[in-house]
Amino acid sequence: MTVIRTAAAGLALLLAAACTAPAPPRGQASAAASTVCAPPQRTPEAETPTTIDVIEQAYFCILGTYYSGATLDARSLLTAGFVALTQELNRNGRDLPEATMPALTGDRKADWTAFENAYRKVTDQVPGLRDKLAIVTLEAIVSALGDNHARWTHDAKRPPDYYEGDGYGLGLQANVNGPQVGGNPGVAVPPLFVTTVQGGAAQAAGLRAGDIVESINGSAPFIGGKATPAINALYPQYPEARPVRLRLLRQSTGRRWSVTLKPGLFQRDLAALQVVRSKLLDDSIAYVRMTGFAPDSANRVLKAISRLRTGRTLTGVVLDLRGNGGGSPLEATRLVSAFVHGKVTAYQCTVDGKCETSRTDDTVDLVNLPLMVLTDRSCASACEHFSSAIKDLRAGLLVGTRTAGVISGPAQGYLLRNNTLLGFPARHHLGPNREVIDRIGVPPDHYVPLTSKDAAAGRDPALAKALTLLSK
Amino acid sequence: MDLSMRQLLAVAAGLAVLAASACSAPAPPRSAAKPSATSTGPATLPAPTGAHPVGTTALYLKDTSRPDPWNLDVDARELKVTLWYPTKRRDGQRAPYMTPKESELMLKGLRISGVPDDTLSKTRTNAIQDAEPAGRKLPLVVVSPGFTKPMSTLTSLAEDLASRGYVVAGIDHTYESYATTLSDGRVAECLACDSDTDPGFGTGVIQGRAADVSFVLDQLPAKWDGSDRIDRSRVAMVGQSIGGAGAMAAMVKDSRVRAGIDMDGTTYARIPKSGFTRPFMFMGSPQHIPGGRDNSWDRDWKLLTGWKRWIVLSGAEHQSFTDGPLMSGALGITPPYGILPGARSVELTRTYVAAFLDQHLKSRQQSLLDKPSSRYPEVKFCPATCGQS
Repeated sequence: MTVIRTAAAGLALLLAAACTAPAPPRGQASAAASTVCAPPQRTPEAETPTTIDVIEQAYFCILGTYYSGATLDARSLLTAGFVALTQELNRNGRDLPEATMPALTGDRKADWTAFENAYRKVTDQVPGLRDKLAIVTLEAIVSALGDNHARWTHDAKRPPDYYEGDGYGLGLQANVNGPQVGGNPGVAVPPLFVTTVQGGAAQAAGLRAGDIVESINGSAPFIGGKATPAINALYPQYPEARPVRLRLLRQSTGRRWSVTLKPGLFQRDLAALQVVRSKLLDDSIAYVRMTGFAPDSANRVLKAISRLRTGRTLTGVVLDLRGNGGGSPLEATRLVSAFVHGKVTAYQCTVDGKCETSRTDDTVDLVNLPLMVLTDRSCASACEHFSSAIKDLRAGLLVGTRTAGVISGPAQGYLLRNNTLLGFPARHHLGPNREVIDRIGVPPDHYVPLTSKDAAAGRDPALAKALTLLSK
Repeated sequence: MDLSMRQLLAVAAGLAVLAASACSAPAPPRSAAKPSATSTGPATLPAPTGAHPVGTTALYLKDTSRPDPWNLDVDARELKVTLWYPTKRRDGQRAPYMTPKESELMLKGLRISGVPDDTLSKTRTNAIQDAEPAGRKLPLVVVSPGFTKPMSTLTSLAEDLASRGYVVAGIDHTYESYATTLSDGRVAECLACDSDTDPGFGTGVIQGRAADVSFVLDQLPAKWDGSDRIDRSRVAMVGQSIGGAGAMAAMVKDSRVRAGIDMDGTTYARIPKSGFTRPFMFMGSPQHIPGGRDNSWDRDWKLLTGWKRWIVLSGAEHQSFTDGPLMSGALGITPPYGILPGARSVELTRTYVAAFLDQHLKSRQQSLLDKPSSRYPEVKFCPATCGQS
């Protein structure tokens, strides 16, 4: 569940990262593997049920193409799948005497055959559960990779009354969101508070930025300072529609109260959905907010800066990457290239240490202005590629909080035979100093966290710090 | 692939919109992308089928009440409107299809190479440039093209409607097309393309298009000499792709538009829950069957409370409602197997659009709209009997 939710909530963007990355050299993936699964060539047809054959395809796809597919112990995947299978049987009150794990030898093909036989023996006896069992099994196999860019996308449905741009959920964002909920949940710190009321139930109930969430459906969001799974309930995904009960504290008045919010569709502000937005601050600073490394977004940022520069002298650029869920590594490299030339922005390495080098594109004109980058724990993937390069190459300063630490490597999507999509990286990402960024994140040069009081008062201390630094 | 499908897939796959262009929806083999045959020379648009010769002229309008939504350095919205109308003149200079520069930008946008840049500008049209309009109390049809497409991509439909006694006002929505030549000769390119993967993008586009349409309806009487020939109580709108979504949006906002057709466009406008009683027709490719990937027609169908039709054309693709398929020979493209040939898709589009307009603007009952026809077996009536095709 965590993996799925992660993907849905914030890491969504990550898969994108993947796709534009250069395909691994032919020789890399074995010939057999490359025929097992391939990137989709066009719009996939309608999904069909997940079967053991689909799981088999995914298993060999991972072994043939995944980052450590060539070296990992395939038994760990099959075991994880079988664990999930038996747990699901048990949850449904249908445990079976035959539901035991077969002996595995370490021979990948023979082990698959043994697994498949055991799997069929079990699922044939519970035809009503067959689809569900297949889904939990494959989800578990993918999640056993422990890779935040590995994801199986299936059965995504939208509400029938959905309009493009609508949000679904409670209509709020809290300071713990996106990657912190599922991708790298250990990084969240208390208290939990509302940062944005987007619409829907949260708006109707009168919630405000800064309101502290003391409990969710009766459970504490943090125990002993550590985030609990209760926080997941703040971000229900369609078709989840169970009302969520929140106990809230408004610090300014000391008021404590409870609300019950029903998940649903809500309209979002179209302007706020634009991936790149810009404005002039203090008559001389170009402020550009970028919520994803979408196609063309580096150019959009640069256009915005040059537009603000027309007819005036700028003294600096603030690039606000808070909440930026990532996207294309090519866009990240391109944007770095506007601030530094002749450098390496990242390495993408195979499990045996063979690395491809991402270099700046020195055909991009340098902006030649001091740069401040605002980061937070929701700046993930390509956003971390960018931030680490700017920091390591001393092309600017990072202000805010550490990045998400969700950057295993650029993922590629592969079409499975039932028209679902399996995504994972073939290489892992390292920063310009060959440092691991995944799960660790990039620490800011200036640590400026957002407090619930700041949120309530509409203050932005990180931006204020960045402006102060630029004016020095 | 059109904008809507790309964004749709993004959501369908549960990915944020960014993923769309990156991977969940890889660029499909564009019908146009693979020049696989040699060019057969410039295309000729099929002759209009109505009784009247056709004239055409262009108007350049400027809405100073609002800034341009795409070019932040322009504080007014400039629009090019192409009019097609009945005339008495049978000879004279045929109007150019587009300029050589527009052709070049269009081919570049479509990533077509291997044919001369000006190929599309050599397309032979039927309308006489700046001919004197004829007739009176003519109904008006506003036409809006798909995203990235200039209005000229719907010329074969526009000429046909004019020959049947309609005035057609085709709008080039500036900066939403690969090329629009403005009044001073500047060529506006597709600035909107920069942000077309943003969530909520389509919703923003159709809001702008509805404003464009209302402005054109406001201005037409003053800006065109022939406008006294228009019966302003009889106005409809037809659009392809996001232009069709724009037709819906314009009708929701502007009660002057009495009837509308959406040709294969995912819709974005919110129809009031209280209902929507003016006549509307969805006309789609098989991608747009009920229960398909795009939920928007199913969603809207429930809210349409007046005369409505939902037809799907077997063998159609997204461009089948445009001049696109007519151009494959000129562009040296072998059409995908099983797709309706251009001549047939134009015939079907012209026939059913005209039937709808004749029924709702000219009050002539059209049995073609009530049931399947043996002459047009490709046309299936949804949601009842169209099924998976």
